[in-house]
Amino acid sequence: MKRRQLLAAGCACCASVIAGRAWGQAAPDYLAPQRFQRPDLTTDEGGLWAMMDREEKALRRSPLVLRDAKLTTYVQDLACRLGAGHCPDIRIFLVRTPQFNASMAPNGMLQIWTGLLLRMENEAQLAAVIGHEIGHYLQRHSVERLRDIKSRAAAGQVLALFGLAGAIGQLAVLAGSFAYSRDHEHEADRIGAYLMHRAGYPVAESAAVWSNLLDEARAREGEEPSQSSPLFATHPVPPERRDNLAQLAKLMPGGSDGKDRYAEHTVHLLDEWLQDEIKRGQYAESLVLLSRRIAAGSAPDLMRYYRGEVHRLRGMTGDHDLAWNDYQAAAAGAVPPPPAFRGIGLVARQRGQKDEARHAFARYLDLAPDAPDAALIQSYITELSS
Amino acid sequence: MKNLLILALAMLLAACGTVRKVESGANLVGERMSIKVDGNWNHLDFPGIKPAQIWTMEGVTIDELLVYSGIRDGQIMHPDSPASEKRKDFVFRKTMQTEEIVSMLEGVLSRDGSTFKLRKLEPYPFGGRKGFRFEYERVRKIDNVQMRGVGFGAIDKEELFALVYQAPRLTFFPRHQSRIETIAKAVSIK
Ligand SMILES: [Zn+2]
Repeated sequence: MKRRQLLAAGCACCASVIAGRAWGQAAPDYLAPQRFQRPDLTTDEGGLWAMMDREEKALRRSPLVLRDAKLTTYVQDLACRLGAGHCPDIRIFLVRTPQFNASMAPNGMLQIWTGLLLRMENEAQLAAVIGHEIGHYLQRHSVERLRDIKSRAAAGQVLALFGLAGAIGQLAVLAGSFAYSRDHEHEADRIGAYLMHRAGYPVAESAAVWSNLLDEARAREGEEPSQSSPLFATHPVPPERRDNLAQLAKLMPGGSDGKDRYAEHTVHLLDEWLQDEIKRGQYAESLVLLSRRIAAGSAPDLMRYYRGEVHRLRGMTGDHDLAWNDYQAAAAGAVPPPPAFRGIGLVARQRGQKDEARHAFARYLDLAPDAPDAALIQSYITELSS
Repeated sequence: MKNLLILALAMLLAACGTVRKVESGANLVGERMSIKVDGNWNHLDFPGIKPAQIWTMEGVTIDELLVYSGIRDGQIMHPDSPASEKRKDFVFRKTMQTEEIVSMLEGVLSRDGSTFKLRKLEPYPFGGRKGFRFEYERVRKIDNVQMRGVGFGAIDKEELFALVYQAPRLTFFPRHQSRIETIAKAVSIK
C-alpha cells in the first residue's frame, strides 16, 4: 500500500495523466510530465541519479561506445522527435555489444546495444523500442523499482555486502538488473505506442519487434525467452505484450516505417555487427535472424555470406552443403563480400576439391590482399598446389 | 552491473583462487606439454577456466596466459565460466582446421561481451608440429580495457595444445610480448 501512495504522490507532483482505462476502446492520449529537475541528493531518487551520472561518465570514455556521428545523430534526432519536450535531457549512447538490449536511466542516459540495432528492420521498430524506454523514463519507473527492491529481502544482502554507505549506490546498480513490473511494462508500451504514432510511425512495427525476437528465442530449444536476452529479463512478458501492441496498432492506424532511411544510416556498420553476432556462437538464433533478412532482401549478399559462416562454424550434418550454397550465392551477387570466396575455398578444401579451393582462395586474396588471415590462406594455396 | 561483476569475480577468485608460483625452467602441463619459463609467473587455480590453466605475471586482472594442454575431442572450453553467455558451449573437435580452432577461441574470448578483432593468422611451428600463430585486439567488456593478445597452437595426436596471452595494449602487452614469443618457441610436446 505504501508504494501505491508514494506513486500517487509522485504522479501528483509531476502532473502526468494517463488515460489508461479508456485505452481498451479508443485511441490513447498521453500528457507527458514537465522536464525533470535534478532531485535532491539526500533522497533515494537523487542517489539513483548520482549513481547513473557515474555510470554515464564511465560510459563516455568507453571504447565500446560507437563514435559514428552520422548514426548517433540520427538516433538522437529520432529520440527527440519521440520525447518531445524532454529532448534536451535525453543522451544517446550506442554500445558495441551483440545482444538485444536498450535501457534508459532516470538521469536521461539512453543506451542502445548494437545487437538491437542489427535486429531493427526499419526506423519505426527503433522508434518503438526508444518510445518504450522513454515511457519508463517519463513515468519514473526506475525510481519505483528501486523502492520496491529496497523493501524486499534483497536489500538485506546488499547491506551486508557493502555496508550502509555503499548500499544505496549498489542498490541502484542492482535495480537496473531487476525486471520492471507487469504494470510498468504495459504502461511503457502504451506510452511508447502513443509516442511513435504521434511521430508518424505505424504502431504495428512495435509488435513486429517482439514477434521477431520471440522467433529467435524459440529457436533456442528448451529455453524461456527471458533467458535469451537481457532485455527480456528486465522487460518481461513479451507474448502478451506483442498481442497488446497489435491491439493498440488497430486503434492507431497509419504511419510510414522509414525502412530506407534506417538502412541508409546503418549499412556501413552491418559487417562489424554481423561479425560480432556470429561470435556469440548462438547459431540457431543467428540463422533465424539471417534467414529473415535474406527473405526480406536486405543486404542479401552480406546476409548470405554470414549465414554460410554460421553453417560452416556449426558444422552439423549437412551444414557444409548449406554453407556452400550460401557462399556461392553471395559470391555471385551484385556486391560479393570477399570472404565469400574464402568460404568457398574452405569448404572445397575440406571436401578435397583441390582446384576449386585453390581458385577460390586466390580470388579471395586478390580482393582482400591485406586480410588478417592472408598468410594462412596462402599456405593453403601452396599445400593444394603440391 | 560492472561493479557487481567485478565484485563477483573478486569473490570467486578469493574463494577458490589459490595462487602458486611457477618454477623457472621447464614445467610439465598436463601429460605431454612442457613449457619453459623464466621470471615471476604465478599459476592461478581458478576452476572457471578449465580445461585451460591460467598463468599471470602482473596479476590476473591485468595479464593472463591461458595454457591448453591435451584438449581432447568433444571437450568443452571453459564450461564453468561465469561469462554471461555460458550456456553456449564451445567444443573442441579433433577434425578442426586452423581457422575453426581460432574461431572457437574467438568465441570463448568474446563470450563475456568483449569485442575481438583478429589482426593476423599465420602458419607457425608449435611444439615441433605444424601449427599456427594469431594476433588480436580485444576490448574487455567488464572494465573497457583495450587489450592485445597473441596465441599459438597445434593439434597433435588428435589433441589440442595452445597458448593464448593477453594484456592491456598500453605498457603491459609490449612489456611481455617478446617473453611470450620466446616461451612459445620453446614449447615441446612429447
Ligand atoms: Zn520495459
